[in-house]
Amino acid sequence: MRKINKWLVACACALFSLTGCYNTESRENVLKIYNWADYIDEDVLAEFPQWYKEQTGEDIRIVYQTFDINEIMLTKIERGHEDFDVVCPSEYIIERMLRKGLLLPIDTVFGKTPNYLHNESSYIREQLDKLSRPGHRASDYAVGYMWGTAGILFNTDHVPAEDAGTWASLWNLKYKNKILMKESYRDAYGTALIYANAGNLEKGKVTVEELMNDYSQASIDTVEKYLKEMKPLIAGWEADFGKEMMTKGKAWLNMTWSGDAVWAIEEAEGVGVNLDYEVPAEGSNVWYDGWVIPKYAKNKKAASYFINYLCRSDVALRNMDACGYVSAVATPEILEAKIDTTLSYFSDLSYFFGPAADSLPIDKVQYPDRKVVERCAMIRDSGDKTELVLEMWSRVKGDNLGVGVVIVILVSVGVMVVFTVYRRLQCYRHEKAQRRRRNHRKRKRK
Amino acid sequence: MIFSAVFVILPLLLIVVYAFMDDAGHFTLGNFAKFFAHPEAINTFVYSIGVAIITTVLCILLGYPAAYILTQTRMKYASTVVVLFILPMWVNILIRTLATVALFDFMNVPLGEGALIFGMVYNFLPFMIYPIYNTLQKLDKSYVEAAQDLGANPMQVFFKAVLPLSMPGIVSGILMVFMPTISTFAIAELLTMNNIKLFGTTIQENINNSMWNYGAALSLIMLFLIGATTLLASDDKDHNEGGGLW
Amino acid sequence: MVKKILCQGYLWLLLLLLYAPIFIIMIYSFTEAKVLGNWTGFSTKLYSSLFVAGTHHSLTNALINTLSIALIAATVSTLLGSITAIGIFNLRTRARKAISFVNNIPILNGDIIIGISLFLLFVSLGIPQGYTTVVLAHITFCTPYVVLSVLPRLKQMNPNIYEAALDLGATPMQALRKVIVPEILPGMISGFMLAVTLSIDDFAVTVFTIGNEGLETLSTYIYADARKGGLTPELRPLSTIIFVLVLVLLVIINRRAGKKKEA
Repeated sequence: MRKINKWLVACACALFSLTGCYNTESRENVLKIYNWADYIDEDVLAEFPQWYKEQTGEDIRIVYQTFDINEIMLTKIERGHEDFDVVCPSEYIIERMLRKGLLLPIDTVFGKTPNYLHNESSYIREQLDKLSRPGHRASDYAVGYMWGTAGILFNTDHVPAEDAGTWASLWNLKYKNKILMKESYRDAYGTALIYANAGNLEKGKVTVEELMNDYSQASIDTVEKYLKEMKPLIAGWEADFGKEMMTKGKAWLNMTWSGDAVWAIEEAEGVGVNLDYEVPAEGSNVWYDGWVIPKYAKNKKAASYFINYLCRSDVALRNMDACGYVSAVATPEILEAKIDTTLSYFSDLSYFFGPAADSLPIDKVQYPDRKVVERCAMIRDSGDKTELVLEMWSRVKGDNLGVGVVIVILVSVGVMVVFTVYRRLQCYRHEKAQRRRRNHRKRKRK
Repeated sequence: MIFSAVFVILPLLLIVVYAFMDDAGHFTLGNFAKFFAHPEAINTFVYSIGVAIITTVLCILLGYPAAYILTQTRMKYASTVVVLFILPMWVNILIRTLATVALFDFMNVPLGEGALIFGMVYNFLPFMIYPIYNTLQKLDKSYVEAAQDLGANPMQVFFKAVLPLSMPGIVSGILMVFMPTISTFAIAELLTMNNIKLFGTTIQENINNSMWNYGAALSLIMLFLIGATTLLASDDKDHNEGGGLW
Repeated sequence: MVKKILCQGYLWLLLLLLYAPIFIIMIYSFTEAKVLGNWTGFSTKLYSSLFVAGTHHSLTNALINTLSIALIAATVSTLLGSITAIGIFNLRTRARKAISFVNNIPILNGDIIIGISLFLLFVSLGIPQGYTTVVLAHITFCTPYVVLSVLPRLKQMNPNIYEAALDLGATPMQALRKVIVPEILPGMISGFMLAVTLSIDDFAVTVFTIGNEGLETLSTYIYADARKGGLTPELRPLSTIIFVLVLVLLVIINRRAGKKKEA
């Protein structure tokens, strides 16, 4: 047995040493990218090394890793000190990382390469700057990648547009069991609070931005009340599959994000289901994903070049087409590509593309009109209030059973345990008695 | 043994350490207190245990006959069928569960608790069949023959001879089914549209939101309770075996 | 006779129920719709797009990784598990209970806890995470299942056979190989199958030990994929192909084994 153990240990050591063996290339020739899945055009990735070589004369190899949840990505970097060079988190994680000092500023000097970072829309940059900390301007550390709004995806055959234009539709008895809510405490919180304060918003007593980030005890209680009211009306809470259920017509209303809505509308057309997307009139959430360079990155130069590369018009356009979301890059080329003359309505996009773009036929789901964007706000990181909000969230989600059933189960488990212990004691006593008898017999024989 | 020590005990110790710490790194029992202070957490926990018990019982009821029948047929045929039982598990769980959702959709069965139990049993049935099949295969036929010779009818033969002798297999099966049922979150998420929350989801939520201390405490509670029950049960079984063979 | 038909019928009914979702995947792999459950007409486009070189190269990579990790982890854990089972079997009751409990901890713990605890372990030991750590993690949680498969066999084995072999002049190694191993071989095989199954399906442990070298397994790929933009439809034909291949393999092995038996 010991021989085998020694053998195993030897094998393990051999395996470990092997992993260290292939580092013949310098770390400067490797770029580690950490991104969401399906969030970039694969050809863009394939062409980057060549572009990099042209610009700097150096070779680069890309290591591309995907993650599915922001928090796991943050855990790996914060606790695992993983040396990713460039990462694409959501805006509230960018805020958290900035607060914890986990980011490095992005280089803006690129030698002979033009600086494409200016292509980023000034609107996005301003929004990101709201996340700044004293002494650290957010846009020095993050460059926007994709953005969008949150709203209601609805089935036009069953839900009139006026209904979908207000959050009240999620609480409407008419649509009982046909509503899907997002399984995300951040989005649900904002939605419920805005709906609860619809009157105040109209009168101008409070702004959407203030509400989105109000985590006072009173607000938490209000949200809890409203979410518990909503719970019996909805079919369920979904994290990824809401859009798929909408295309099957299983649900008529879904609180979701604009990127998912675009995907769903297109897919539903193929099966004859008509969907549309509205940002409710009371106000909603606008979200951003951005590229950052974490503190433990070992190849800051290539990372900055990569971010720069992604801000090129043609590259941004290709990424947009590949993943279906809307890029933060605002150049005339993109504007031209996205104008859809078959549309009958016109949107004011001057906030994004500049003063000339105030009346354009462009897809309103992808590029919301100025009036829509003005009633949307970013959900900031809830910081130390996160625990309170999560507790509220588990109170809302967790009441599965009536107290009676709980007691029944507890009692039955208790009975089983007592029974088992009792039998064990019996066996033990039985064996003890037998041992005594055996010893007694032995002594008798002697 | 060394392997176990490093890879099982050390991580467990780390979890224990985390469970007893709070954000600032001080020793505290607050995490455990938090669990008991939250009725919905206890509610979820008990509910998950309930679901697990039902699933395990159903798996035994469905799996035991299947394993038994398999041991009665010719050898060549049987071993293939046994592998056939575990083959669906090689398709990824997410896709499988999505297909189950589509299946229910097709048959117009509403999602909910029934669907959840079906999904759980579906996922864990092979894990119950395998150990029972293995045990039954090696069953010493002489016991069965002896019981028959002594004049027992088939019912009695089964309950007094075969069943007790196949207990080790059943116990293994229960172990392999009960715990994972509590910790699986994908099935509950998809088959009940998150309306029913299982304990595994709770732990996952806490870990995902960087509240590792609380999540670690939760899992320790789970480990402790289930582990204690297992210890008691297996103790009993060992004794019974001894009694049976005398 | 009726009893036999009933028995067979029960078995086949159970199998049908188990395979129903798989059939659905197979049927829907022949349509282009992105969502499982929508039918947009018969087409084999998904299959052809799967085989076109260059596209979905990360998917095939993930598949190869998954299979290799599963095979290696299953093999090692089968060996390790069998040795551990033999070891447990030979111990006295108290030590046996203790070691059994330690052995069962990974099963009792739930995969996400194993994932983060191993993550913390590797981080604190400073081991760079990647392929090796994933394999080690998989071995950790597969071994208990192997032990649980082999142990009942050992318990049912006639203990005198081993002593008889020794008495007849065999060395302990020979006795092990010729006597014990054939007895527990079916247990080892079923433990191996269980280990492969668990390893292929596992997500929580893999995602935490996967490191930063761009390693992906099928489950991490699928979970990440499901978040943005919906599940890649090519997964349906991929699953179908894998499934059919394994089925065919099984039939071939079975035929060969049958021939051997008859011969």
